[in-house]
Amino acid sequence: MNEWFDGVLAWHATHSHLVRAMLAGVLVAMVCGVTGCYIILRRMAFLGDAIAHAMLAGVVAGYLLMKGVFGLEANAPGMLVGSLVAGFVTVALVGFVSRLSRIKEDTAIGIMYTGVFAAGGLLASLFSSYIHLDLLHFVTGNVLAVEMVDLWMIAGVATFVLLVVILLFRPLQITSFDPVMAASLGIPVAALDYLLTTCTSLVVVSAVNIVGVILVVGFLVTPAATAYLVCDRLSRMLVVSACFAVSSFVLGFLASAWINVAPGSAVVVTSTLQFLVVLVIAPRYGLLSDWLRRRGAVPQRIVEDVLGCVLRDGSTATPIATVQAHVASAADQVQKALRGLQREGLLVVAGDAVTLTEAGQHEARRLLRAHRLWETYLERLGTPLTKLHDHAHDLEHVHDENAVDYLDDQLGHPLVDPHGAAIPEDFVHLTPGAEVPAALLREGHEATVVALGEAARGLALEVGLRLVAGPRRQDGKVWTFRLPAGRDLELSHEQADAVLVRLAKS
Amino acid sequence: MTTAPRETTSPSSATPAIEVRHLTVSYGPVPALLDVSLSIPAGQLIGVIGPNGSGKSTLIKAILGFVRPVFGEVLIFGQPAERAKGRVAYVPQRGSVDWDFPVTVREVALMGRFGRVRWWREPSAEDYRAADEALEMVRMTPYRDRQIGQLSGGQQQRVFMARAMAQGADILLLDEPFSGVDAATERAILDVLERTKAGGRTLIVVHHDLATAAEYFDMIALVKQRLYAFGPTAAVLQADLLAEVYEGRLQAFAGLVRRGKEQSP
Repeated sequence: MNEWFDGVLAWHATHSHLVRAMLAGVLVAMVCGVTGCYIILRRMAFLGDAIAHAMLAGVVAGYLLMKGVFGLEANAPGMLVGSLVAGFVTVALVGFVSRLSRIKEDTAIGIMYTGVFAAGGLLASLFSSYIHLDLLHFVTGNVLAVEMVDLWMIAGVATFVLLVVILLFRPLQITSFDPVMAASLGIPVAALDYLLTTCTSLVVVSAVNIVGVILVVGFLVTPAATAYLVCDRLSRMLVVSACFAVSSFVLGFLASAWINVAPGSAVVVTSTLQFLVVLVIAPRYGLLSDWLRRRGAVPQRIVEDVLGCVLRDGSTATPIATVQAHVASAADQVQKALRGLQREGLLVVAGDAVTLTEAGQHEARRLLRAHRLWETYLERLGTPLTKLHDHAHDLEHVHDENAVDYLDDQLGHPLVDPHGAAIPEDFVHLTPGAEVPAALLREGHEATVVALGEAARGLALEVGLRLVAGPRRQDGKVWTFRLPAGRDLELSHEQADAVLVRLAKS
Repeated sequence: MTTAPRETTSPSSATPAIEVRHLTVSYGPVPALLDVSLSIPAGQLIGVIGPNGSGKSTLIKAILGFVRPVFGEVLIFGQPAERAKGRVAYVPQRGSVDWDFPVTVREVALMGRFGRVRWWREPSAEDYRAADEALEMVRMTPYRDRQIGQLSGGQQQRVFMARAMAQGADILLLDEPFSGVDAATERAILDVLERTKAGGRTLIVVHHDLATAAEYFDMIALVKQRLYAFGPTAAVLQADLLAEVYEGRLQAFAGLVRRGKEQSP
């Protein structure tokens, strides 16, 4: 026991920088993961990047101030406070510019952070003989160089940020999701925004130690984005994101020690790989499941072809073989379509034959009507008769109610298609008691006049009059109606459209 | 419409739900709202209509207590709007919501309770019950663990209605709930509105479609900088009045306002 303990102590004495690095990295990863969730949900990624860069100016200014005033060389707390101040100044300048001018926020960030970053660079080169600062360390980070004071700072930041995120979970959730509603409840939205920006600055400043300025954004955003792909609620996303961040740090860090490369890069590469893997295999929002879903779904047009084929067959039970022969698609697709239609209650499969239900009849007739209207349309455009059916076959899948209504009206509510087949009446609108333009009526329909439009003025019609639709004349261009007392009435399309009638309930 | 005329509902009965008095709001020389006064009785379904940029949203903000008027005041059940936070529930426009936000239907409904839950506390069993009851009322219980992006347009609207009800607010403010939904959804939303109203709440709906305004609302406020008319729907929706508001035709305005306000069905 004693021997083992001595062993641990001895290892620790020689490897204490590794332990410190590990501890610091895990803590930073955790808070980066958590803060990152809010950053991606509020689209603040660019701001995180800006804060990271602006730090340079703060570090240099802090260094110079501590050296000039107190004569301290590379004073860590001084540089830390400097970088925080620089972060806040940048955020304040961005807010100032974007709120008070017409410049949009992303542009304001672009202006201000490069400005502050460049000012830092200027200071650094002006006093290059005066300060001994490893700028490369700042740019790429070096987790192995973490000192005790850094570790304390990181622990402090982690405690603060985690406390904020846990205690203020609900206010932060609601202000991120719906700021207007939050404000209407009296929640201090602006104060929470500032608090979150403060947390971001703190997290960025501590993360620069680990992965450097350039990669900080990746460390903030990637684990959160990975979690976003697998989570449907914020509380879980926060936890999952922290786990992804910690795991990518630990794996990346160990790998970097193993193959002797820069730890910062190894960590961010690991986290990116992690993201890509999850992007592919995530259960709901992943590419793989998306592909599988699309593959599993039967194309709408096959479903519609099946319906149309059963309707046209007209018998009480259509053999599946007939459907298969008519629908030019793979057998398993047709089978899937049949199963889907049965699930939706549009048809019934009994043994080797299928029958349409009432709802199925309705749907199939709607499609048939669309098909025949499209054929009529194509014929009017001068499409050769031989190509008519094929084109109409494509177009019948455009059967949105409004589109079909428009087509029907434009064509003058035709009764037969170019092949001489009857176009079903507009049974979607022609339900008993419904109010429709008289132009939609077919021979035999009884209806009562409800209103008369501009084009129907001067006709021998009045509201409340009962009429019966007669046959169309002159190629369907003239509507005839039988009025009470044996009077007859002939209307043009325009006139018939202007007469609103209520269909009799029988 | 079976609406009682304004004269019989407001003066004698209890405090109006919303009382706007001589409200002028301005961000510059041109006022967004100019001398708007209206008194909205409780338990009504009110439409706020007007062309784009007419000050509808400013009126909404004023009722929510977000803008400081240059002059005038807004009273919510007799209390200044800024001090009535939480009594007015806001239902956002569908377009302004991030539908990919990781939040479930039940969590959204629960947000209605956040005004009462101290920020460091967990919502109590009662809060969950209120949220669940609200979801039941809009018939969304079967979907309560879904992420909000996985709902149809009408369902999404209903979730936010539930949130407003869970908030326990007496006044609901809906921002363009009917924009971009199909006819069936429109029907479903209207159905929820009607039932909410039957529960004694006051609903104020920002709306831009004149064609449907007549059948939806009990009363209409026609706004374009000024309040052109406020009263029972049939009295407000008059061709000449609408032509003036929407096409900017100049007419003797004093007479129009009086007519809009005084006409009874």
